[in-house]
Amino acid sequence: MEPADNRDPFRRPLFTARATHAVRLALVGLVLVTTTAGVSVYHYYHSPYWSRVGLAPDQPVLFSHRHHAGELRIDCRFCHTSVETSASAGMPSTQTCLTCHSQLFHDAPMLAPVMASAEKNRPLAWSRVNTLPDHVHFNHSIHVAKGIACASCHGEVADMALTAKARALSMRECIACHRDPAPQQVAAGDVFSAHPARPDAAARLRLPALHARPLTNCSTCHH
Amino acid sequence: MSAHCHSSTPPAFPPRKGNEFLPGASHWPADLSRREFLQLMGASLALAGLAGCGRPSSEKIVPYVRPPEMTPSPDAAWYATAMPWQGYARGVLAKSIHGRPIKLEGNPDHPESLGATDAITQAAILSLYDPDRSPAPLRDAQVSSWEIFEREWLVRHSDLAARKGAGFALLTEPTTSPTLLREIHALLDAWPEARWFQHTALPRYDRDGTQDDFDFSAPDIILSLGADSFYQHPAALRHIRAFASRRRSENNALRLNHVFALEPTLSLTGNQADLRLGLTPARIGVVLNALSRALEGDDLDSATAALSEIERRLVRECSALLRENSRSALCVVGPELPGEFHAWADAFNARFARDAAKKKPALRSDGDQRASGGLGALIEEIEAGRVSNLCILGANPAYTAPAGLDVAGALRRVAFPVHLGEYVDETARECAWHLPEAHFLETWSDLRAYSGTATVLQPLVEPRHAGRSAAEFIHTLRTGESRSAYDLVRETWRAGNDSDFETRWHGWLDRGVIDAVSAPRTRTPSPTATATASFPRFPGEMAPRGVTVLFRASANLHDGRWANNAWLQELPQPFTALVWENAALIDAGLAARLSLKNGDVISLETSDARLEAPVWILPGQAPETITLPLGYGRTHGGGVANARGFSAYILLGGSNPWQRDDVRVRRIGKSATLVCTQGHFTMEGRDLARSLTASEFAKAKREEDPAVTLFPAWAREGYAWGMSIDLGTCFGCNACVIACQAENNIPVVGREQVARGREMHWIRIDRYFDGDPAAPRVLHQPIPCMHCENAPCEVVCPVGATVHTSEGVNDMVYNRCIGTRYCSNNCPYKVRRFNFLDYRAPEGSPVYLQSNPDVTVRERGVMEKCTYCTQRINAARITAEKENRRIRDGELRTACQQVCPTEAIVFGDLNDPSSHVTQRKQERSSYRLLGELNTRPRTTYLAKIVPDSAGESPRAQESFA
Repeated sequence: MEPADNRDPFRRPLFTARATHAVRLALVGLVLVTTTAGVSVYHYYHSPYWSRVGLAPDQPVLFSHRHHAGELRIDCRFCHTSVETSASAGMPSTQTCLTCHSQLFHDAPMLAPVMASAEKNRPLAWSRVNTLPDHVHFNHSIHVAKGIACASCHGEVADMALTAKARALSMRECIACHRDPAPQQVAAGDVFSAHPARPDAAARLRLPALHARPLTNCSTCHH
Repeated sequence: MSAHCHSSTPPAFPPRKGNEFLPGASHWPADLSRREFLQLMGASLALAGLAGCGRPSSEKIVPYVRPPEMTPSPDAAWYATAMPWQGYARGVLAKSIHGRPIKLEGNPDHPESLGATDAITQAAILSLYDPDRSPAPLRDAQVSSWEIFEREWLVRHSDLAARKGAGFALLTEPTTSPTLLREIHALLDAWPEARWFQHTALPRYDRDGTQDDFDFSAPDIILSLGADSFYQHPAALRHIRAFASRRRSENNALRLNHVFALEPTLSLTGNQADLRLGLTPARIGVVLNALSRALEGDDLDSATAALSEIERRLVRECSALLRENSRSALCVVGPELPGEFHAWADAFNARFARDAAKKKPALRSDGDQRASGGLGALIEEIEAGRVSNLCILGANPAYTAPAGLDVAGALRRVAFPVHLGEYVDETARECAWHLPEAHFLETWSDLRAYSGTATVLQPLVEPRHAGRSAAEFIHTLRTGESRSAYDLVRETWRAGNDSDFETRWHGWLDRGVIDAVSAPRTRTPSPTATATASFPRFPGEMAPRGVTVLFRASANLHDGRWANNAWLQELPQPFTALVWENAALIDAGLAARLSLKNGDVISLETSDARLEAPVWILPGQAPETITLPLGYGRTHGGGVANARGFSAYILLGGSNPWQRDDVRVRRIGKSATLVCTQGHFTMEGRDLARSLTASEFAKAKREEDPAVTLFPAWAREGYAWGMSIDLGTCFGCNACVIACQAENNIPVVGREQVARGREMHWIRIDRYFDGDPAAPRVLHQPIPCMHCENAPCEVVCPVGATVHTSEGVNDMVYNRCIGTRYCSNNCPYKVRRFNFLDYRAPEGSPVYLQSNPDVTVRERGVMEKCTYCTQRINAARITAEKENRRIRDGELRTACQQVCPTEAIVFGDLNDPSSHVTQRKQERSSYRLLGELNTRPRTTYLAKIVPDSAGESPRAQESFA
């Protein structure tokens, strides 16, 4: 093979070797940067930071589920009254707090906002812990009726001093259960329990069944 | 199936070819330049980028301090109440979510609703949130308050009390409200010199202290003379429900009635006739003279000698049927027609109607002994200087007054005019004081239905503004003190020392009707005609004097009070499919004589008024007539209402206010663009809206299941949702269109966007002119999504945004949609709607409060369409699954099905062999729309079935355009 004649304009490389190296390096860099950016964005959107998992937002009252639901064993439904009948679980009115606190700790400084609310007839404004986008229509009552325990989505609330989000509540989580709900179902008596037991094979047969299985239809949640 | 349609292919009306979308559909909005667009794009991209990075912000949950007395389910609370409709009650169940009323449904326990409603009732919920509603009391157009009014009134009150009310006049609309009437009578008792006047813009339904009560299910023959008993009448929903029971096949058996109509302009009632003639009122008299002679035994040929071929056919068929003794017949007359027609109908009904026609004491206060007359009498009184204090309640005489009555001028002569109304309207502007009136969902009241049943109207919300009810206002006028509407209504119904009152009161609120003490105590009128009375004769037709101009309430806006309701403005009008304006409806012959085409502007002149109006040629209009729909052309009706169309009230007048023969009509050479949602008039020779005669139906075979397909069949497990729509009973009232709009958060797009074919209604009513051009009829066909099993839209979506569910519903997933519009291009039924622009109401608009929280609000760039009310399916499924059972037939109804007054739409589970929808689909008249495409639609139709005699009509191939 003849050596290249550098003076021949048709044989001379178009770009200098340096430029070629720079471009090759840039191409590799571009792939690396794009991949890193993609992976970072993916992890950002799946991180607890973005979904606020584990985060307890500031609340007007330092309310402890651990104390009320855990230590005192007050049933979830005492405050979240409509969880079995309606889409929303319901938030307790100030009056509900006063059921006990008109007698107990009524002058504790911690409860001052509750007392002020009752006195001035001004509602408490709680910060939402668990939220879904507007185009998702979630119904508490049917999940509870079909044996999905509160703890399945809300985590072990009875152990939380300050209420924090337990799961990302992403569509991936919803659809995983909608594809195969049986492993998530618990016995009717265990739905509101702080630590629901996994039913054994015999108990599972008695769990409430579905009359149709349209759970993965888009319109089950999006309409 | 041997079904065939009576369509004709008109040479004069070429089918729209080429572009699928209307011209301009892909153009930018006129007021957005390319540069502005790029700026907006840049800004929105930057914002989208920023917003995408942020974490979803934390929202607040605000519970009650004290929960309400009965804690209803947070999902929805229902209240039984009623909507005022021409002064009568129409029973509704109002749905409230989180304290916001969002939807009205019919009350099945109410005799004038029977579970159904109409388009206007459906749209009434939007008016509750109308941003243009009067926000505060106004004193000389300056914001004031009720307290200042009350102080000012106290001064006048003591003065008036001293003079026994001399100089005080009250102007109201006629009403049936016992509480309001009690307050008015109490005021007149306290002030014997005070005067009470009543004004209504539209014709009355009472004559000589009586009102007619008809049963449309019993008679075998119905003769309608210009009546709109099925749409405009206060008992329309009851009428059409009864009528529809005779127009459908059940288990392939028929019990058809025969319907004839003679009317000057197309009405939804007349269009139900098997033989309908468009004739002037004078000509109707001539035909009735012939019919009278035929019924009295004259020779048919001599009796009908002066009639045209088709008129003779009507007299022949009608009299032949009537002579069969076993049949009962009913004649109904429009309230716009003069008294002699009513006298004729009384004679007819006395002879043939048996129990189907009764006279009952009039319920509305039109004929109240204590009232001093109408608007004319009031203006005379003002001009005589006898009125110093005038209170106008609800009525809008400055807009609805006929020509020759100068309301504005008269009001200027009154020292202290006060107006109570929901809007700062034309009348409010002429008054010293305007006071906001509460909406019917905001206050306590009571009303009677046309049948006499009373209802307590209960509020769902506090008044949005400082509104008060009419009864509260009159109480304040009379006593100078305010008292709550709740107390006033309860006082009316508390009969003396009633220990059981609370229980009964709660029962009334619960059911929405007051049963025990319902019937008003008045004597039953004696019959005016006897069975043997001869028919009164009409004067012969005068020599033609020129064009007859008719005035009718518009189907959508009624007398104009709904003009600021954008849903009703954008609703295609029943026969013309025009939106956002009215047009002078003109007979084709007259249009040809004046060389007018659709949109050409004519001038209508009388001695005292002149009006310019664009024309619209309406097949079926009586020769040499023009109909002017009332209710448009508002000047101070609100942002939506103003300057839409023309006001025909300025031409009203004369001895018969609903008809004028002295109007000079001429073409002025101008032309206007009218916006119409259906530019084609006929079926272009295709088999879309089918109809069968009874004998064709008897011979028909059920349509075969479609041929083989290359696509794999869907598994039919669980539920299989399907719908059947009966074209025999659909009469085109549009109620389903608005019900769907209210249920599914469907936006209003405006006139300009509709002109580009971008209307958003998920269900539309197609209308086709059909039959003999001398006596055409209109077939109405509701078109929702067909939910095809082989859906052409699904296979072309590149992102899977429209997919089939296991229950056969064609789902639309908004979040996946990227707006390619391929699905719409591939849909043979053209039911998909695209958000070309952001049609959502501006942020902060009160109309968002009406939104159904169970349905996503769509944004720009997203395709949408009928979902079979999937949110209702889900709700029903959740209820059933909680009770561990399947959804029962009838438990689940779509919005369009629930509202339908004729039960033309049936929805349900096709896997259930006993369900109503499965039964309907077994009828021999069941067919698939465009079945030859093998899309296997889940929505199917029942062909209209008409009696045999109507099938004789020659199917001439002439133009309808």
